[in-house]
This record gives sequence, C-alpha cells and structure tokens, in this order.
Amino acid sequence: MSKVIMHRFKATIPVNTRNPWAESKRITLHSRLNRDNVAVHRFFSMSSGVCSRAPPQRKSTPEVFIPGLERITYADRMHYMPGLAKPTFPQWRRDWHDPHHYSGPKYEEMPLNKETPCYIFNQRTNMLEGVKQALWLTKTKLIKGLPPHVLSLAEDTTNHIENQDERVQNAIKHARFWDTTESRPGRERFCPKLLQNLLHLCRTEQVNHPALGKRILAENYSLAAFWERGEDLFQVRGKNGILLNSISPLPAVAGKEEVVSTADHVLETFHPISPTIDLQVAHTYRTKSHTGFEDGYRYPHAHTLFVMETGVKQRLEAEQLRAKLIVFAFGNALARAQAFYGPQPQVLEQPVVVQGVATNGRTFQFAVFQLNTTELGPDTGVKNMVWLEEDQPLYDYAKVRPLIKKKVVQVPAGLAGYQPETFKKFLALYLNGAV
Amino acid sequence: MAVSVLSRALRSLSLTSVGSVAQTGSLTVPLPSLAVRQAALWPAISPGHLKSQPSKLSLTLMQWRGILTTASLAQNKTDWKQRAKYTIRPIGMKKTGGRDYTGKVRRAGIGGGHKQRYRIVDFQRLNFEPGKENQSFEERIIEVRYDPCRSADIALVAGGNRKRWVIATENMQAGDIIKTSGTISHMAVSANEGDAHPLGALPVGTLINNLELYPGKGAQYIRAAGTCGVLLRKVNGTAIVQLPSKQQIQVLETCMATVGRVSNVNHNKRIIGKAGRNRWLGIRPSSGLWKRKGGWAGRKIKPLPPMKSYVNLPSMAKAS
Repeated sequence: MSKVIMHRFKATIPVNTRNPWAESKRITLHSRLNRDNVAVHRFFSMSSGVCSRAPPQRKSTPEVFIPGLERITYADRMHYMPGLAKPTFPQWRRDWHDPHHYSGPKYEEMPLNKETPCYIFNQRTNMLEGVKQALWLTKTKLIKGLPPHVLSLAEDTTNHIENQDERVQNAIKHARFWDTTESRPGRERFCPKLLQNLLHLCRTEQVNHPALGKRILAENYSLAAFWERGEDLFQVRGKNGILLNSISPLPAVAGKEEVVSTADHVLETFHPISPTIDLQVAHTYRTKSHTGFEDGYRYPHAHTLFVMETGVKQRLEAEQLRAKLIVFAFGNALARAQAFYGPQPQVLEQPVVVQGVATNGRTFQFAVFQLNTTELGPDTGVKNMVWLEEDQPLYDYAKVRPLIKKKVVQVPAGLAGYQPETFKKFLALYLNGAV
Repeated sequence: MAVSVLSRALRSLSLTSVGSVAQTGSLTVPLPSLAVRQAALWPAISPGHLKSQPSKLSLTLMQWRGILTTASLAQNKTDWKQRAKYTIRPIGMKKTGGRDYTGKVRRAGIGGGHKQRYRIVDFQRLNFEPGKENQSFEERIIEVRYDPCRSADIALVAGGNRKRWVIATENMQAGDIIKTSGTISHMAVSANEGDAHPLGALPVGTLINNLELYPGKGAQYIRAAGTCGVLLRKVNGTAIVQLPSKQQIQVLETCMATVGRVSNVNHNKRIIGKAGRNRWLGIRPSSGLWKRKGGWAGRKIKPLPPMKSYVNLPSMAKAS
C-alpha cells in the first residue's frame, strides 16, 4: 500500500504511513525513486489485493474450553507474541445511546414473533402461477369477461362523453408525447399520467350524473387484510395503488342463487407447486385487518382499485399483474367485510364488490371482484367470484420516431391503432354504481 | 455515495499532512489548501491546536487506507460465491484471469471475455424441503435456458414452496414434471428422463448423468453438455458405472443419479468461426512459439485404467 501512496504523492510532499518506525527508511527509498523517475512504475498492489479471488474458506473447528486449563494469552503484554494465544475480550458495548449504531432487537426476541409462519402478499410479489394461484388463495371462481350490466353501460351511447374518441386520443398523446420536454417519457412517467388523464375525462361526466360527486380518490393508503386458508395464514399488506372510495356501496353483481351455485365449483390446483410459493414468509406479524382508513371516514366503501405497473427493470408480466389485481381487490373487500361484519368467518348477507383496473400504460386488465364469503379455510362451500377482462389494449403504438425496417415505414410516428372499446369499458366501470 | 468517497479522499489527504508534521518533528505549516480542508472537516481542531500537540493526533488518527476513489467498498468483496442462503437470482461474478487467491497464475490462457453471471445450480437433487424429509417429491420445469458458466443448459424447477436451478437433460421442456426419490426397492423403477433416483433403484444399462461419488455430496461427474454414463452392474450394495471417458468407477448404490443424457448435445458441433469468438468466451490464445512435437503428440494405444472405487467399505478385520 505504501508504494501506491508514494506513487500518487510523488510530486507533492513527503508521505508517511501508519507505521511511524518504518518511516525513515521509506523516505529515503522515496527520494531514491523520485530521482529515478517513478512515473514509469505502475503499482498494482492495491488493485489486485482488492479484486483477487477469495482465499479458500477455513473450516472452523469448535474451541474446547477446559476449566482450569486457560491458555496464556498476550493480553497483558499488549502486543502480539508468537506462541501465546490470542486474547478474547468481552464485546464492548457503548453505555450511551447512539442512533447511528443502533441495531434493533432480533426477530426471535420480538413480542410479535410466532411459531406458525404467515405468508404475506405485498405489492412486489411476483406469483409464479399467476391468476390460478390468486384464485386458490382467495377461494374464487373465475368468470371470463365483464358482467353484463357493466357491458351494457359501456355500449349505451348516452353515457359517452362528448367527442369521446378525440379526447381520449388527446389524453394518450398528452401522456406519451406532450407531457415532458424529454424526447420520450419513460413508463414510470407516462403510465400514471395516462391513468390520471383518463380519470379526469371520467370525472367530467359528473355534470350528467351528480352521484359521481360522492367519490374520492385515495393514494398511498396502506392496506392490511388477514385470513386463514387451509392450515396456513395469509396477509395482504402495504401500499398497492390508487383507490376510488365512495359513500354508497356497489350493488352485488351476482344474485343469491348464483352465489349458492358456486359451492359446486372446484378450485384448480397446481400439484407439485405449493400455493404459497413466492409469497413472503414472516414469523413476526400482526393478525389484524385494517382498511387503511380511520373509523368514521366519510367514504367507507371501496369502489375501484387502480393498479399501475410502471416498473422498467422488474416488470410484472400480464399474468402476474392480473393476479396482483385480484389479490388486492380481494384484500380491500375482505378488510371492509371484516370491519363491517366482524372477524368471524361467515357467508356474507350482502356481498362486498370491489372493481379493479390494472394498466401498464398501454394494455388494461379489468376485474370485478365479489366477496361472498369470509369463510376461506375449507375448499368447500360458497366461493367468491371475479369477472376478469384480460389484455385490453388502449392503443397499439405511440411512437415518437417511426419504426423503419428496410427503408419501409412499419409503424408511423404518432398514435396508431387506437381502440375505443377499452375506454368504454373503463368509463363503464367508473360509472357503475352512479347511473 | 459520491459524498462519502469525496470525504474519505479528503480525510486521507489531511491525515497525510498531519502525519508529516508529526513525523518530521518540525512545526512546518501544512499546505494552505490542506489546512482549509482540515478545518472544514474537523472544525473543533484548529491548525494551531495541531501544532501544539502533533504526536497524539498522529497516533490516534493514523488509521487510513490511502485514497480510494472507488464508488463503494462493498463492491470489492471477493467472496461473491459464499452465501448463507440459496437464491435463484444470478450473482455477478468477478473475473479471476486464472489466478488463485495468492495472485499466482493457476490456469494459463484465461482472461477477458463477456461479463457472466453465476446461477447457483443445486447439484444435490435429493435436497428435501425442510419439513418434508424422506419423501419422494416432484417438481415442474419452468424454463430451460443457457448458462454462461457451463456447457450444459440449466433448468429452473419449482416444487413445493421453493425454486431451484438444476442441470437440464436432453429432452427437458418447460412444463414437464420430474421426480426425485431416495428409496431403493426390490423392483427396478422404470424411470423417465430427468428423474433422479439412487443407482440401486435403476435398471442395469440405464443412461445416467449427474452422478454422485459419495451419497449426499452432490453430483460431481457427468455434468458436461451431451454426456452420459451407463450403469453397468450392481454388485453387493455398490454400482459400477461407465463414465463418458469409458473408464469404470465403483460407487455406493445409494448415490443419486439423473436418468438420461445432459442437454445441449450439439455443444461439440458448434463452430467458433474466428479467433475473436474464443476471446468472447474468455479463452486466450496459446503462445504461438514453435515447439517440437514430443511424446504427447500422436495416437497411443494403452489399456484402460483399472476400475476406480469410491466405496469405503469397512475392512474385514474391523467387521469381524
């Protein structure tokens, strides 16, 4: 190391190191090297020491302590001595509180530590089996496509916004082209912006439907929902998206007969793989559910959950995004049901309905979740229901520069392939419950 | 991070000047710029204070490692392979250039090449999930992919509550189910490709790969692309296997082996094409100096080496 230092400081001042006794020798060496012009010398002692392969790991042998046979150490000599044992001192602890060096208690010593593990689903969970796994965890029957009354809302032209297609295309162009001074906004920028623009367009319908005023958007709320499934404990935790709350609850989608008939449905399993794969395993946890809003909040009912997939490096695939949407819609419904009907597992008199929209800035996933029961332990009995509309692209391409291959323009610059059906469904989900 | 690097560099600079003052014994004032930096870093210690008590400071504050302009010292860890926990995530590797931990060249002709990342392959196929010991288990293949660190392909398998990488066999595809069992019954099993069984459970003549030498140690033989061994016979609690080199070895019959042939069969047929591609792979050219061909060159006919035994049976004297 000293060589490196000398090399770097060769033109400045005499250098010394931490060993003051070897100093005089080093200085003479330094002056000699200086005479010989050390500029041609290159010293790799630092870099190779830092980058080299690690030495083989030593197997530690357990030390044997025999009382009365303590080894003589060089502790009282205060310097290393060959042949004498290395002294071991008790670990020094500072007797004042230093927040910089504070380390919290171990998980095993925390009062919340428990024997049985809890499997936690959070916003970064990437479930291997996707929707199938989400359906098993939430004990849910899947129905492809949106419910019929939502589709009729979407088709009804009286519900449409004035100049709908033009305004939606402007919203897309704003998010993709006009929003930033950069040449091309990234996904983490245009995805939230597009969702906000579309929500803004939906809000303009309040003129025609005053009931839309009884809604509020909540960002950064933190959810906790706890349930037992089979012999395992599960939780949905943490921040997950933007939640549209309303004063009045959404009406049930499926009638009582349909709910009772779900008892015949058999949940799909995926044998060699456990349903708890990819969930976070925790032994220190609270067994409580909370909606994330205080009691007496004026908008107690969850209407629609908007989930965005803005990741660039760690992106959720569409299947995993749908699973996340289902689980978080379920978690919101479950937390509200447990707050309203109590924590005992039961078949709910009035089902709790939560809608969900997930987007990655181009394609949309729509879901309508109906929580029929909080009795999730056994596989038999009434199931919950989810209506899922998969992979609805709002547009095909939004290119800042045209895609040219072999001098032929494959995709022109600008917005291409706008699909009006997707926004109709988005609007229908928004209007649901107020029309 | 940049701030910490800068402050470390400045700290080392100022300490140098303090040390020089202490060592030479003369009370020369350090360079003005250094003095200013010093004052900025430790406002409590003024230069005048330094002058009056130089030796104390020099001994207490001399702990420094020179100027490190690297981004983070945590990046300099050399033991990237030592991990307490298994992960399927690829780990960034450090190139050794054929050197060992002392810095000596241990393997000539290695250096450079494309950056590679290491995926921890679980060579212990019979690695039970905690809580489910001694039960045969099944796993599903999620993907089969290229691995830069070996010639064979690797497969990501998921079963129970975990995922792991294993060496892929020839016809493995995503979605297949592979079985792993540790039991030896009287009847030989009819194993599918990719299944792992102890050698004692397999019928004689089976093509195997990923062979363990000692039970539970993990596969060490027949792991390269396109290779397979043959289970020749089973004798008295041991099994005799022919390796791809035609050498025969004797191992205990409880050693695990995977059925089939290792994937990437056409590995020996690929065309490197140019010298530069070998450099991409991290292989350096040989010296180019003309050397007379000696005894190493040419075909030799010699008998196969005798069968090697990895069985440590207790001696007769001990048993009796």
